[in-house]
Formats: sequence, C-alpha cells, structure tokens
Amino acid sequence: MSATAHPVPVVQALGLTKRFQGLVSVDGVSFSIAANEILGLIGPNGAGKTTLVNMIGGTIAPSAGELLFEGKPITDAPVHRRAHAGIGRTFQVMKPFPGMTALENVTVGALFGRDGGLKDMGKAREAARGWLEFTGLGRRIDTRADELGGPDRKRLEFAKALALRPKLLLLDEVMAGLNPVEVDEVIELIKAVRGRGVALLVIEHVVKAIRRLSDRVMVLHHGQKIAEGDPASVLSDPRVVEAYLGKKRT
Amino acid sequence: MMNKKTSIAAAIAVALLASVPLFGSDVVVQFGIDALSMATLAQAWNLMGGFTGYPSFGNSVFYGLGAYGTAIAMTKFGMPFGVGLAAGVAAATSCAALVGLPILRLRGPYFAIATLGVNGAMAEIVSNLRIAGADVGLVLPLTRNDASFYELSLALLVFCTGCVAWAATSRFGMGLVAIREDEAAASTMGVNATLYKVAAFVLAAAFTAVAGGIHAYWSTFIDPASAFDSTLNVRMVIMCVFGGPGTVFGPVVGSFILSAIYEVLAAQISTAAALLFGVVIVVAVIFMPKGLADLVQQAPGVGWRYFVRNIRENGI
Ligand SMILES: Nc1ncnc2c1ncn2[C@@H]1O[C@H](COP(=O)(O)OP(=O)(O)OP(=O)(O)O)[C@@H](O)[C@H]1O
Ligand SMILES: [Mg+2]
Repeated sequence: MSATAHPVPVVQALGLTKRFQGLVSVDGVSFSIAANEILGLIGPNGAGKTTLVNMIGGTIAPSAGELLFEGKPITDAPVHRRAHAGIGRTFQVMKPFPGMTALENVTVGALFGRDGGLKDMGKAREAARGWLEFTGLGRRIDTRADELGGPDRKRLEFAKALALRPKLLLLDEVMAGLNPVEVDEVIELIKAVRGRGVALLVIEHVVKAIRRLSDRVMVLHHGQKIAEGDPASVLSDPRVVEAYLGKKRT
Repeated sequence: MMNKKTSIAAAIAVALLASVPLFGSDVVVQFGIDALSMATLAQAWNLMGGFTGYPSFGNSVFYGLGAYGTAIAMTKFGMPFGVGLAAGVAAATSCAALVGLPILRLRGPYFAIATLGVNGAMAEIVSNLRIAGADVGLVLPLTRNDASFYELSLALLVFCTGCVAWAATSRFGMGLVAIREDEAAASTMGVNATLYKVAAFVLAAAFTAVAGGIHAYWSTFIDPASAFDSTLNVRMVIMCVFGGPGTVFGPVVGSFILSAIYEVLAAQISTAAALLFGVVIVVAVIFMPKGLADLVQQAPGVGWRYFVRNIRENGI
C-alpha cells in the first residue's frame, strides 16, 4: 500500500465521545472522509448526529476521542481556527445574522473564512454575490435575513458556509422542510459543490437524497455507529431498517 | 456607507461647531464642552453596546482611569497634560484588556452586571490609594481656557466618530456586527470573537479615557465619586440608544439633542428637570425604540404610522 493510494483523509475522527451529564450522546464514533467524498449520515431523532457535527465544528468539546483535520490534531482548536483551516458548516437550527442583508450575511463568510478570508471588502462582496447566485438567492441579495422565508433561509445558510471556501462542509439537515422540487435543487447544488473538490458530511432524514448523493453512508443509533458502507447495502441492512427506516414509517 | 453627501454634511457640521467659541458666550462654550464630551462617551459606548452587542456598564471605569491617570501624572509627577492623557489611556486600555478577557465571555445582562461590579470595585480601590488622593481627590493645575478645551473635545469627538465610520465599513466592523447578530455563527465563519470583542473594548476604553482626562484637567478637581460615576455610564447608554446604536452618527446627534433638552429643562425649572428628562426618555423609548437614526430612515415613508408600528411591536 503506497501513500498515494491512501492519501490523508480530510477529516478523521477517532473514538469521538460526548457525554451530557452522564448521558452518552455520541459513543466512541470513528470515521473518516476523503477529499471530494460525500459521507451521508443518518439515524433516528436524538441519535447524536448534530452533536457529532458540533464536535467537528468545535462548538462543543468532546468528552473523549480525537479529531484530525488533514492529518493534524484539531480536537482542542477554537471554532474560528477550524474555519480558517477549512471547516464550514450549516446549523440545523439556522443561525443567520438576522439584522443583516443576505449579501452582508454571506460577505462575512467570504471576508473571514478559510485562511482568514479575502480581507478585502470589495472582493468579499463580489464573492458573496457569486455564492448567492449559486444557491439561487440572487434576487434576494438586499433582503434582510429575518425577512427571508424558510427555504430561502436554508439557501442562505448554505451560501454562508460555502463563502468561507471550505475543504470540508458539514450540512445538518439542509433539506428539512423543503418540497420535493427544492430537495432536487439542493441535491444538484451539493453535487456541484463536491464537483469543486469539497468533502461533505451530509445529515438528512430524506433517505432518497442520501441514496442519490452519498458515496458512503454511516448510521448512528443511540450515539453508536451501527453501520457504514455503500448506500445500497447500508440502507438495506436489517439493523438499520429496524433502528431507523422501520421507525420512520410508523 | 459614508457617501459624498454625508461626508460634506459632516464637514460643514464640524466647521460650524469649531467656530462656536468665536461668537458663543462662556456659558455656551462650557455647555459645548460637556455636550461634546458626552457625545464622545456615547460614541465610544456605541462600539461595544451598538456594534458588538455588549452593553457595558464599565465604561465609567475607563473614564475614571483616564481622569486619574491624567491627574496623577500631572500632580504627582509634574508631567505635561499630553503625557497625563497617555498615562490615562494606558491605564484604561490595560484594564479593558485584563478585565475584558474574562468578562467578555458573559452575554447580555450577565455582562452588564459584571461590568457594573468592576466600576464599584475600581472606585473602592482608588479611594484607598494614597497616590490618588484617597477619598479626598486630587486638585489639578488651573488653566481656565475654555476655548482650547472646547476645540480639544471637538477634535476628540471627530476622531472617535471617524474611527467608528471606518469600523462601520471595514472588515473589523463587519466582524463586530456579526458577533452582535449571532456570536456562534460568527465564530463558525472564522471571526475570532474573543480578539474582536477585546479589541473593541480596548478601543472604547481609549476614547473614554481621553474624554475623562480632558474633563479632569478642565474641571481641575476629581474624586472617586465623580470619576467613577455609574450614572455617567447610564447617560452614555441613554444617549447612544436614543440616537441609534450601531450607527455612525446616531449617538452623536442623539447626545447633542438630549444634552440640549436637559440644559433647557434645567434652566427653566431646575427642580423638576431630572424628572422631566426622565419622562422624555421614557416617551422616546416607547415611540422610537430603535433610536433617532431608524426614525429618520423609516418615518418619511410611513409617516405617523411609524410610531404606531413601534408601539405595537413593543406590545404596549
Ligand atoms: N447541549 C446539550 N445538553 C444536553 N443534552 C444534549 C445537548 N445537545 C444534545 N443533547 C442530547 O444528545 C442527544 C443527541 O442529540 P442530537 O441533537 O445530536 O441528535 P440528532 O441525531 O441530531 O437528532 P435530530 O435528528 O432530532 O436532529 C439527544 O438525546 C439530546 O437530547
Ligand atoms: Mg440534529
């Protein structure tokens, strides 16, 4: 096995664990995502998906385990340093800058972001405009974030994360609440993002989307990884069907 | 943000203000010194409270440190005024950095309460310092030249407002506003929130300290109660919020107007002035909770309905 056959993964988690007052939300989860790869993450409500994303993004500290980004440890790195390294994310409970326009929202990502961002206001605005076009918000550039409707807020959340030019993008249920047409749009957007060489962790309850997008799928249940592999076999794994899909149908 | 028209209007306003000592009476110039100083304090408060979303009740600490730094350097070490100001700024900015690091972790009311505590503690410390004249205070060398103090106060306000105008359109200011709007989201976008908050706090401390130093020299006497006066901080908040927090000119215009109203009330009916002033504030908060700046921007379009809408949104 040569080094080139197994390049350093973009992100690698080793036994990540999070305990909230004794309750284990994420229980020794290990995984890695290669450059340009889409890892789908599914699991029932409360399985620990968002907690896992929060540990990668740095908004909560793991109780145990280790996290490597491009081979370097970042387990204790502050949130902004991870953004500088190239980790972008969306929030399941969206976090727009409510009093700013859509353009200003996205400009923040371009102005800061990876390697400290573009620094120049004019260039950052230009880049932000591009990302708003890309996510289909081109016409809402001057609308305040708190005046945007649900689907547009999702697009904004996506555009902000993209504007920081991530190498790894963590998407926490960006399709929730969207209609089938909008879901298809987002799937195309995600594919286009991957086409630009970004690695993605995609959390979705929309199984159809996970099946269409993912190179690999990982399943969490009660904080533990219960399955991982190619979409077809994981989604037909009896344990997964019982833990997740079965429950979903009832 | 600062277009040509605003720049020209601002330049004319500064020129007019600068000419006041040429024809204004002593009373007018003295009122001007206070009003300009108050506007600077409101503008400095605006950096933290308006742009960054951290309502500080510790800015009076920086004012007091600026006053005491200047007074101690001048009276105990025979330093010139300029060196005194530098000493005051050094004391205030170090305090802002040291205190800011731990308390800027707190949000909203917790931050406000913590800063209030710092003010009380600092007044206590100073009133036990022999070099600071303990609780008796310090008397500074007398130089009664109101016109120079006036121009100095104006220069400080112009410089402070210039910095805020720069911040409003810069990457730095964008980072501060992002922190105010959603701190977790700002960090996730790569904003070093701790660094930015401390930097804004230190900048606010510097301007506040210079205002304190100028005022100490002008009034020639300071003691702990007047230098570390938390009601002064309350006035900074009121003037900034009345004018429009997070805007460039709101706090300046707001504090000019409120200072003028107070002066008129005090001259007409000295006893009830404070009470009436309080009524003015309450009415302003009910009818225009977003400040003058928002009123000027929104009201021309919707007229009196602007006030109705505000009252509705406030749930009154
Ligand atoms: N800050 C917190 N404090 C205490 N418990 C928490 C906290 N955050 C999450 N939890 C708990 O951790 C568990 C996992 O939550 P998490 O939000 O990660 O689930 P999820 O898989 O994202 O669920 P969903 O599909 O509903 O978004 C839940 O039991 C939740 O109650
Ligand atoms: Mg979740």
